[in-house]
Amino acid sequence: MLFLTVYTFAYDMEKELEKLEAEAKEFLSNLEETSQIEDFRVRFLGRKGQFSTIMRSLGSVPAEDKPRLGQLANTIKAEIEQLFEEKTKDLQSQSAHLGKKNLPDLTLPGRRPAQGTLHPVTQVMQETCSIFESLGFSVAEGPDVEVDYYNFEALNIPAHHPARDMHDTFYVSDSVLLRTHTSPMQARVMEAQDPPLRVIAPGKVYRCDSDITHTPMFHQVEGVLVDKNISFADLKGILTVFTQKMFEKDLPLRFRPSFFPFTEPSAEVDIACVMCNGVGCRVCKKTGWLEILGSGMIDPEVFKMVGYDPKVYSGFAFGLGIERIAMLKYGIDDIRLFYENDQRFLSQF
Amino acid sequence: MKFTLNWLKNYIDTGDLTPEQLSDELTMLGLEVDSVTPLFQDLAALKTGLVVSRENHPDADKLSLCQVQIGEETHQIVCGAPNVREGLCVVVALPGAVLPGNFKIGKSKIRGVQSFGMICSERELGLSNEHDGIMELPEGTRHGQSFIDSMELSDICVDVDLTPNRPDCASVIGVARELASVVKNPLSLPVSGATIPTNSSQFSVEILNPDLCPRYAGKLIRKVKIGPSPWWLRKLLISVGQRPINNVVDITNFVMLEFGQPLHAFDFDNLDGGKIIVRTPRENELKFSTLDETERNLDPEMLMICDGKQPVAVAGVMGGLNSEVSPETTTVLLESACFNPVSVRKTARKLNLSTDASYRFERGVDPEGTINALNRAAQLICELAGGEIVDDGIDCYPGKVEVPAITLSVDRTNTLLGLELTSKQVSALLESIGILCAASDNNSLIVTIPSFRVDIEREADLVEEVARLYGYNNIPTTLPAVNLSYPEQDPSRLKRLAICKKLTTLGYTEAINYSFIADKHIAMLGIQEGDKRFASLPLLNPLSEDQAVMRTSLLPGLLENVKRNINFQRPAVKLFELGKVFFPQGENEQPVEENRLAGVLSGNLYGEGAPLYYKHTPVDIFDAKGCVEFIIAEMNLGKVSVDCELHFRVPEAGQGDVYASEGYSLDLFYNDTKVGSLGSLKNEVLRTFAIKNKVYYFDLDFDALCGLQTKNIKFSSLPVYPSVKRDIALVVGEQVSAGQLLTAVQTSNDQLIEKSEIFDVFQGEKIPAGYKSVALTITYRSQSKTLTEKNVEKSHSKIVRMLTEKFGGSFRNA
Repeated sequence: MLFLTVYTFAYDMEKELEKLEAEAKEFLSNLEETSQIEDFRVRFLGRKGQFSTIMRSLGSVPAEDKPRLGQLANTIKAEIEQLFEEKTKDLQSQSAHLGKKNLPDLTLPGRRPAQGTLHPVTQVMQETCSIFESLGFSVAEGPDVEVDYYNFEALNIPAHHPARDMHDTFYVSDSVLLRTHTSPMQARVMEAQDPPLRVIAPGKVYRCDSDITHTPMFHQVEGVLVDKNISFADLKGILTVFTQKMFEKDLPLRFRPSFFPFTEPSAEVDIACVMCNGVGCRVCKKTGWLEILGSGMIDPEVFKMVGYDPKVYSGFAFGLGIERIAMLKYGIDDIRLFYENDQRFLSQF
Repeated sequence: MKFTLNWLKNYIDTGDLTPEQLSDELTMLGLEVDSVTPLFQDLAALKTGLVVSRENHPDADKLSLCQVQIGEETHQIVCGAPNVREGLCVVVALPGAVLPGNFKIGKSKIRGVQSFGMICSERELGLSNEHDGIMELPEGTRHGQSFIDSMELSDICVDVDLTPNRPDCASVIGVARELASVVKNPLSLPVSGATIPTNSSQFSVEILNPDLCPRYAGKLIRKVKIGPSPWWLRKLLISVGQRPINNVVDITNFVMLEFGQPLHAFDFDNLDGGKIIVRTPRENELKFSTLDETERNLDPEMLMICDGKQPVAVAGVMGGLNSEVSPETTTVLLESACFNPVSVRKTARKLNLSTDASYRFERGVDPEGTINALNRAAQLICELAGGEIVDDGIDCYPGKVEVPAITLSVDRTNTLLGLELTSKQVSALLESIGILCAASDNNSLIVTIPSFRVDIEREADLVEEVARLYGYNNIPTTLPAVNLSYPEQDPSRLKRLAICKKLTTLGYTEAINYSFIADKHIAMLGIQEGDKRFASLPLLNPLSEDQAVMRTSLLPGLLENVKRNINFQRPAVKLFELGKVFFPQGENEQPVEENRLAGVLSGNLYGEGAPLYYKHTPVDIFDAKGCVEFIIAEMNLGKVSVDCELHFRVPEAGQGDVYASEGYSLDLFYNDTKVGSLGSLKNEVLRTFAIKNKVYYFDLDFDALCGLQTKNIKFSSLPVYPSVKRDIALVVGEQVSAGQLLTAVQTSNDQLIEKSEIFDVFQGEKIPAGYKSVALTITYRSQSKTLTEKNVEKSHSKIVRMLTEKFGGSFRNA
């Protein structure tokens, strides 16, 4: 509550000041908790505190008393302020020494709810997709259970072609199978869309093979880029960007001639072994290189089958194995761990 | 394809390339080297020795006591071989040596006589199966030498992983030809340009199916003496993993590996009428015994080599037992032919018999190389098996085709590769591997494809050759110059990613299981006929029974995961999977694939959360329900409640999920379509999965949820006037559900009710049996004024009255 007292006599004013001085000193001597410091400041020294109130009323005392009373008030206030400052310092250093018993033990763990993790395959798949999305690729998905036509024929792998030996295929009927690669999406996407296009197709693929380096199901990401004047040099450029983003900037890589019936020229891409830095170890079979993906310029036969004119358009395609990349990235030595869903494994990623 | 470096050097001077450099060059040419292995290293400790004396063992008839000189030293060795004799050069394993198969040699006493080591047979050295006696080294071999050096066994085996398009490199000469482009040295071939000018009259060849056999050549060789091959030949075959058999067979195998042309040798005396007829089998010829002494069932499409009477070989795959070269054979008919790749492949597949010959024929052999290989083998048989060539033989070549020249555009090559080569550079590259080029104009080359490159048919194939020979790593690296476009993304995929990420914040870990499950898994869940998930799509060739059918539910995989994690002492299991399930359609049709989102919970609600703050609390069905509510909220599908399209329904008795405990299952509906469910798994289901703990689950049709309209976010202004909360505690019959009470409040049409919530449900002490106490908090607020006590009381008493009347409850004083 704000109130104003009007002092008509200097005597009253003097008395008031003395009383206030005594009151303030007593309060200060009883001050024991740091929490009371602010209370004191507000009551006596604040803008609306008792000293300010008295000072404001100086205006109403007789002019001849003003200088004396003003000086007196200032002296008392200064004294109180000094005492207050000392007391404050005193209390703060005391609490630093003594207060420990009431403070929390901050070495205790934070109250953090348990958190789950995304499967490492999902994480690497996502990272892979986002690198290509940043390069302007859109994402398409297709069926896991494919027809022979898209898995093989449309990719220039006719029945009885020896290249079928490269695919240990699970069949559900004569002409229906579990896709052995994500490459059927090349044909499906090109059939559905006119060039130019830039698409990646992530998904599950299946091969009837199971050991320390093979699981009957694994994940691939397929990529296709078709436009005018696309060259093998462009293929190298895009895949170099990808590997350097996925692994590290200066990781050496090499392009090696290979064979896929649906690309020509075909190339396999090796990165310098991340386990031994290219010196040669068990993982890279002492070659210093690790194969991470297959790629190539799309074969004109594939273009013809989807109705693209190979004289006008050219393009490249690539396919990479997600588990393989995850294993290299995290140093996982047994691919089967991915599908045991052991939380001790999954929680590491 | 395996070869040794010494073998390779017969055809090309590889200069000063080290084995590692050579292997790198091959790999970068597209002939990926799988391994480079020094040979016979396990025989490095063996020495050559000379038997200086031999006498009978004093106590054993069949054993000999030999003094063997090895350099300066002479050792006494007991030997059981019948062929050991004075003056013989032998291979000795001294004490300390280890023979193949980890057979350690030590000093020993044999029938009372000291023996310092062992004289070895070929089988003991891992060189052949010969074990009738010890290995005899050539006379005059110096003793005391390293066995592998003395016999020139030191060599390096290179194994190349060939791609299916390069059958020409399934031969040592083919590999040498590729290397010639690198080392720029000429090839040296044992035979080239051979022809058969005049056909023989000693036998006849007739091809009835010329489409399946474009060329068949043969040569007759008499006075052959069958016996073991000389050491150099056996050594080469052993070095590349082949088993030496006899000189004639070894020569056919050697020439096949040398030229890439499979050959076959018949015992001519067993060929009826001195005839070769290439044809498919007759009805009565469908049983046939191949060289591996296996009777095989033929099919009428398979191409056979027949004599005047019957089949004698499966064309391009394997010879027959009835015409095999035996130790008694004296006249050999050598076959060198060319068969249709698809026909050979089909036959090999059907017979489940893949051979070195079928491997090459399936991929295509050089139709012009037939006679070269035939003559090379015939010469070797004369040299090494004492044969005499009768005449030129027969060349029956009905399938000769002129290989058309291909026009290669240099501009196009440059555009496709990102290069700026001149036509001169392009020709030089192609000619380095024997592809001849002639310039037609400034921009085009007329290219003649050599017959051994059966894989080159089009311009694109030549562009690949240019790239390969120029070196992939010499091609620049650029980024495509394409127009910008915004990559549209599949919204359902984005939703999948988003929800997976969100679920991890709730403590759920993502699982990925195989898309196939065991057939029995469906029964283990108790799913019955009539349920969509009962009929699954089986694989024709599963790897195991556990992976035999495409899954129709995510739960079996997740339950197997729960079992595993409990077995590994995890205090809490919270897993989810978002993946496809498969529902079969018609025969030869693709199944319907649907994305589902399922989760399983078991054990401590707080998982690995610090026990200091999170006391062990077992999960229950409301955690599963809460998770589903969370998913719906995160997918922005609006409210889930009875007055909404999306709502939970408690199934009628006996109508819940078959694998859920009675009364512990809840369905999620969108209008009248079930889009998911949750519950507690029945104990008997858990038992079949060998899980002892309680497990809760949820299982949602993710595609259906993705298809629902998401709620548009629209801002509503913040309330200006304060709210008032009032509690009600009601005692109602225990059959009255909380949902009914809330629904009644929510549908009461009182404009002042902002929100109603259950905050306590209680049964027991002070509450009569058959009843329960339910406590609700109702929040009242007006949009236009501060509510007075009177306003609230009016609404609240109306609600209390309505509830007690409707549910026969009584208002309880706390």
